[in-house]
Amino acid sequence: MEKNQRTGVIREYDMHSPSVRAGYGFILFLCGIMVIIALFPLIWVILAGFKDLKEFVSSTSIIPQSFSPKAFITTWNQLGIAKNYLNSFISVAGSVVCALIFNGLLGYGLGILKPKGHGAVKKLVMLSLLMPTTISIVPLFMNIQKLGMGNFFLPLWLSYGANAMYVILFVQFFESLPASIIEASRIDGCSQLQIFFRIVLPLSKPICSVVAIFAINAAWSDFLLPYLVLRGGELQTVMVRLFVFSTEQTVNADAMMRSVVFSMIPPIILFFIFQKQLTENSVSVGIKG
Amino acid sequence: MSEKSNRARINGKTGENIKSWLIMLPGLLLMTFFVWEPLFESIRMSLYKTRNVELVRFIGLDNFVSVVGKDDFLQALVNTFTYTFWSLLIGFGLPILLALIIGETRRGKGFFRTAAYLPNMLPGLAVIILWSAFFSGEKSGVLNILLSKLGVPTQSYLTNYHLVIPIIIVIATWKGAGATALIYMAGMSSINAELYEAAAIDGATVWQRILHILLPAIRKLAGTLLILQIISVFQIMYEPMVLTKGGPDNASLSLMQLMWQYAFGGAMNYGKASAVAVIVTLILLAMTAVYSYFNRRESDWE
Repeated sequence: MEKNQRTGVIREYDMHSPSVRAGYGFILFLCGIMVIIALFPLIWVILAGFKDLKEFVSSTSIIPQSFSPKAFITTWNQLGIAKNYLNSFISVAGSVVCALIFNGLLGYGLGILKPKGHGAVKKLVMLSLLMPTTISIVPLFMNIQKLGMGNFFLPLWLSYGANAMYVILFVQFFESLPASIIEASRIDGCSQLQIFFRIVLPLSKPICSVVAIFAINAAWSDFLLPYLVLRGGELQTVMVRLFVFSTEQTVNADAMMRSVVFSMIPPIILFFIFQKQLTENSVSVGIKG
Repeated sequence: MSEKSNRARINGKTGENIKSWLIMLPGLLLMTFFVWEPLFESIRMSLYKTRNVELVRFIGLDNFVSVVGKDDFLQALVNTFTYTFWSLLIGFGLPILLALIIGETRRGKGFFRTAAYLPNMLPGLAVIILWSAFFSGEKSGVLNILLSKLGVPTQSYLTNYHLVIPIIIVIATWKGAGATALIYMAGMSSINAELYEAAAIDGATVWQRILHILLPAIRKLAGTLLILQIISVFQIMYEPMVLTKGGPDNASLSLMQLMWQYAFGGAMNYGKASAVAVIVTLILLAMTAVYSYFNRRESDWE
């Protein structure tokens, strides 16, 4: 509480004034409304998942008639979501590994090693942050086709190893590390890779966890490139499946809502595990991004 | 930092430089393959007649002429600016307000932050499908259920020519505003509280402190976020694609969606798709340039 008071516009002594107290009450009221607006759609979709098709399209009640999980289980089995989950997990795992290794090493080069001419590369990376990303999806897809890498996770994994934002995050973190530690190990005769794995990486847990969380969430939610690369195949992820449902309208509305719930479960779990890192780190991350 | 690299240069440690580049090489190759080359390639492709993934022959600006000449281009262009307009109207000030009110709470701040951020974690596609049921025109659509309690008759929202773009922006704002608010909160929390104290001693009211201390302090941040917001909303694509398929009657068709249609909508005309992409890029570059021009002039005055 003390910490809060240090940052707010309303100071402790303002609270003696009735008008400020009323204003503060209004602020709490607005925050309450915000919470309702933020959470209501989520609660609603879970409730809607309990309804069968007839109830879903005709009922004008938000609360379902029964809370039996049967509908969820049936949809899960009928649509074979388990396989899509497995595909998603494979896709996410590879993406995170690539995001950490490739962006991390590039960030290490740009932030610590700084070889001759690194400035130009750094500018290029910064510039690609401002460039619209979806624009290159057509030629990127063509490149993947030409190399015959379609219908497999590899291009998706590797695409996470080329993220300008993650590179910048690594660079900024590495530049904030004390140069003396790195200099000392250099004098001790460590090679550049040894310095990276023995000195830099152990110090970089905070930034690695931020990039990992972002990459997990992005890889899980991604569906445009995965749809193009994996479409029609056995390797469809949860989001690709959902995208196909939404464009081809092959499933009923109630099953659709349950699929939406299934697709949200892992990110919500991730969110509650890393809540603190996300709501506090994303802050500094966002500013830099 | 530069001391280190300077020394390397003076000692002429070419070997070390080469090793450093080798360490960066995998990342650079991936950046080239996934980011830089495709950007360059989309410019080149926009100037070629394409068949499937092959470039057939150089045709100059023909793709551009053909794309721009179609009715749906003008419609998509106007729509995309309409998206941007609504996004700024609905989505620019809201995160600042949220940051301000969450920042002032004395209890439960952590809870409010969590609630505000949660929608941002949900997959964008799932969010769109969820909201499509929310705005459904059936009497079981959630908004219709809620409004019927107030006596408003059942109506169809997503097929309303004038409502469809604002609704899509409301959905995008629902997802993104909380996360942006947390960025503003960080900016606001770095303001030295002594400023407020000093202003209060001079008799400044809470409103005056907000107007003269808080808002000026986040102005630069707001400028950066503004340009990032424009860049991102200008590329809006899958939201209308999934929610309305660009309808009713192309009322929500966006430029990037038009690009997708050219490329993957059956025609597989990658040349024309790239032409649309290049046009979007040029508009964005122009807007960024205008922004940084004004921004620079403003800082000169300060």
